[in-house]
Amino acid sequence: MGVAELNQIDLRALATGNKRAWDAFVVAASPLINAVIRRTLASYRLSEEDVMDAAQDVFVRLCANDFRLLKTYDPARAGLSTWLAVVSRSSAVDHARRRRQATLPLDEVPEASLGVEDRHVEKLKIPQGLLTDRQILILKCLYDEERDVAEVAQLLKIDAQTVRSTHHKALLRLRAHFGEETS
Amino acid sequence: MSTERTPLNDKELWRSLAAAREDAPEAVSDLDFAAWLEGRLPETAAARIEAAVAADPEMRRAALELADILDKPLPAPPARLEVRAKALVGFEAEQRMRRVGLFDWLFAGNRRFAMQRVVALTAAVVIAVSGFMLGGGLGASVAEERYALNMPHTTSTDSSNELTEFLVSDGI
Repeated sequence: MGVAELNQIDLRALATGNKRAWDAFVVAASPLINAVIRRTLASYRLSEEDVMDAAQDVFVRLCANDFRLLKTYDPARAGLSTWLAVVSRSSAVDHARRRRQATLPLDEVPEASLGVEDRHVEKLKIPQGLLTDRQILILKCLYDEERDVAEVAQLLKIDAQTVRSTHHKALLRLRAHFGEETS
Repeated sequence: MSTERTPLNDKELWRSLAAAREDAPEAVSDLDFAAWLEGRLPETAAARIEAAVAADPEMRRAALELADILDKPLPAPPARLEVRAKALVGFEAEQRMRRVGLFDWLFAGNRRFAMQRVVALTAAVVIAVSGFMLGGGLGASVAEERYALNMPHTTSTDSSNELTEFLVSDGI
């Protein structure tokens, strides 16, 4: 069962505590919750038991207090699978923080976050309005997170060429403003 | 000695700059974040989320990871993950939701379906009374029962007398 089946779940029956609806939901949601939890906890090097517990935490959150969290979900605004993935990730991060064992091999840490910032070097501030929020997001994904163009395109639901041109226009504006030569 | 500045490459240029927005990123609800990940938001709402995601490294990582996961086929989870999750909701949760039976509906205190309930009750009474009357009524059945009780039990006595007479007549 996959993401498509998850979006077919009868939410009204689920929120009333119907056992069959809950079981169907668990079967449909488990692969996604499992994948999100494993991906999120990968950097924390936690045990398999922690993965199981973190996944269980997600289900507990969903059905606690008479399904209060599940009742906040609005199908008109987002797909159940996407919302569930967001909830699962934040739950996994909370779980990992409680365990306080965050470790990551040095090779997997982006270079930008390893560098010790020299507080004495005053960075030039990008004036508000020079770049759009999307341009800043694209530059941060490419340079701070060290993601490739395809990953950013996937995130923003646009094609890779649009990412490249947005990136190019943003750098042109920065160079024009700060008097640098374009590369 | 040359005073000409060496042009920075794109990455170095970006790293030498700081985004103007240094204030804390705006809080984004899970539902808004999910809607943005799906590309469902209008431009202005999407720009608000994009600003928050750009400002918060944790949100950026979350967005990139989730976009990747949601686009891929998912591996099967361990069986015990499902077993444990299913056990969270038992049949008692359903029982807590009180079922509405026929009598609950008929004698409910509210005024919903009042006419239908009156008709159903009247029909039930009419059917019960007519069935009872067809069966002879309570008085007739009681009288019949009393009559049956007061009747002398002679059947077995008579048959034993006849047997005795037959044996006597044969000289036994």
